[in-house]
Amino acid sequence: MSGEVTDLYRQRLGRYQAAIAMETPDRIPLSFSVGCGAKVTGHNYQRQHFMYEPELFLEVLLELANMYPQLDTMHPGVQWAPFWDAVNSRMYRVPGRDISPDSIHQFEEKEYMKDDEYPLFIEDPIGYKMNYYFPRALGEFDEKGSIRSHVAFLKAGLAHMMFASIMGDVRQQLVEKAGMPVAFKGAYLAPFDYISDFYRGLNGIMKDMFRQPENVIKACEAILPYMVRRAMETADPSREYPIFNPTHKPCFMSPKQFDTFYWPTYKKGLLMLIEAGWKVRIFLEGDWSPHWHHIAELPKGTVVCDVDNEADIFEAKKAFGHKQCITGGIPTDMLILGDPEDIRARVKHLCETVGREGGWIPNGPGHIPENTKPENFQALIEATIKYGRYYEGSPPEPRTASNNSNTAGLSEPNVITPWEVVKKENGWEVPGDEKLIKKYWDKLEQMAYNLIMSM
Amino acid sequence: MTELAKALRDLDEKKVHELVEKMVEQGASYTDIIKECNEGIIAVGELFESKKYYLTELMFSAEIMKEIMDKLEPLAGGVVGREPVGTVVIGTVKGDIHDIGKNIVINFLRSNGFEVVDLGVDVPAEKFVKKVKETGTRVLGLSALLNTTYPEMKNVVDALKEAGLRDQVKVIIGGAICSEKVREFAGADYYANDAVAGVKICNSIYG
Repeated sequence: MSGEVTDLYRQRLGRYQAAIAMETPDRIPLSFSVGCGAKVTGHNYQRQHFMYEPELFLEVLLELANMYPQLDTMHPGVQWAPFWDAVNSRMYRVPGRDISPDSIHQFEEKEYMKDDEYPLFIEDPIGYKMNYYFPRALGEFDEKGSIRSHVAFLKAGLAHMMFASIMGDVRQQLVEKAGMPVAFKGAYLAPFDYISDFYRGLNGIMKDMFRQPENVIKACEAILPYMVRRAMETADPSREYPIFNPTHKPCFMSPKQFDTFYWPTYKKGLLMLIEAGWKVRIFLEGDWSPHWHHIAELPKGTVVCDVDNEADIFEAKKAFGHKQCITGGIPTDMLILGDPEDIRARVKHLCETVGREGGWIPNGPGHIPENTKPENFQALIEATIKYGRYYEGSPPEPRTASNNSNTAGLSEPNVITPWEVVKKENGWEVPGDEKLIKKYWDKLEQMAYNLIMSM
Repeated sequence: MTELAKALRDLDEKKVHELVEKMVEQGASYTDIIKECNEGIIAVGELFESKKYYLTELMFSAEIMKEIMDKLEPLAGGVVGREPVGTVVIGTVKGDIHDIGKNIVINFLRSNGFEVVDLGVDVPAEKFVKKVKETGTRVLGLSALLNTTYPEMKNVVDALKEAGLRDQVKVIIGGAICSEKVREFAGADYYANDAVAGVKICNSIYG
């Protein structure tokens, strides 16, 4: 990597990290998902191409970095369709496979867990998954115990490793060729969202909150360690990049319901990750305004929140933006239907208000929409550079994490079959180094366990 | 406000069922029971507008209402005064398969006495046009979550014009991504960002 590229990387990362830490960078960072990337760079690739071959997405990102060197991060993309195909996840509509190849992938909820099955789930989440959930939610496991279902499991594991390797390469190339950090690595999901998205659907959990509130709370508590472990396993070990956290259901919930069902376990998980040295990039989907005062409970400068366009960015700043960095403020219809003068005026206004003392990054509704006019995208970049400078001189240096604890206060990782059990079953006397054998037995058991819980 | 209306307003599912069963035992008519329930549903709408209730409460009120209406179905046959307030044809536009918001609106419309024809998701313009013609509806609702759907909303309105049906129907575009700018772009008559606003518009059209 050339000195120039290394410098660029350090400047961008330092700027981004400073904004998140609520310290003053040299200028307002430009860090958002560029949904209009293909349009802006003039590529003909369809969404389907990106979802099957992230290497093609990398092409677009590298070109975008070249066209707009002012950008400070790239959103690397987070999903790989072959994984869904391999297990036949009934929840996803895949571009090119069952919806238009141009469409973003889409998620369809269903009540895969029945309303009287909470006790089974709470008692043994992985057992519930294997015995009840997979046959209902994943088409390749229709026939439990069939060779086809065994092969599907193997394929899922292989696909998981392949995708991790592809994305590792994407990140590396962004760094080495363009000096470009990614905006996040790894994912955390609130326990409530996990249960609602994948098990009960909104309709189901809505009824559960009224009819069996204790079970909803217990289920969230039961699943929390898995959410944290999954986040840690997928996160950046050096803690340079934040962990991504999409939120889904708060925009439907009353404050009372949010405080009772969503926030307690969600907050616990966030704090565990923060205490283990990570920052978290949270997409506050929909109107979070009844709940976002809670975000101010978290230690200062530990999360960066993408504020959606249903909510008021100025209110967000007042409610918690004095403690945590926020992104957003450019209306969706302005980006898609408006003109560059509208964008320039809006960005100027935001720079002078919510961005005046730092802690703000421009954005649309959690992303820059796919149909944003290229000239509007250009205007956004130029206006931020023009009106968003805090001081002349270099950006702050990137920072190292203060804590590299790998346990995040969790109990021992889960396994299905402990080493002691398999050793006894086989009568192995183990004349050699038992620790060596156990290390890899445990590692693979834990990886498999985590993958099953994430499927 | 009657006990039943209050119970529904307060989302006390158990009490609602008990009171309805009692009323049925005492020989109350379908129309009387539904009238009291409607009072409760209107109160729920008001609580939603004043930000005391949120979407999940709205959804639960519609769920209770649906259960009551199913329970009372045997009583309902051939009843005068069971005429719907009006018909609404609704669907999520082509290119979008999201339906949570659409289904909230549908349930709330039905709770408010509308007959709703649900075309589902990923609905092409021709299907909307066909159903508008077939039903003679005065309200067409286009729902969407994805902000890539603006051109498709316009497609539907243009297709209505082409079919000579534009004057028959008021088009409401619905979803968080809708705004005055989008309404204007698409050529729709109204936009609504939530279910209660949407139902109010339908009431004003049929009122």
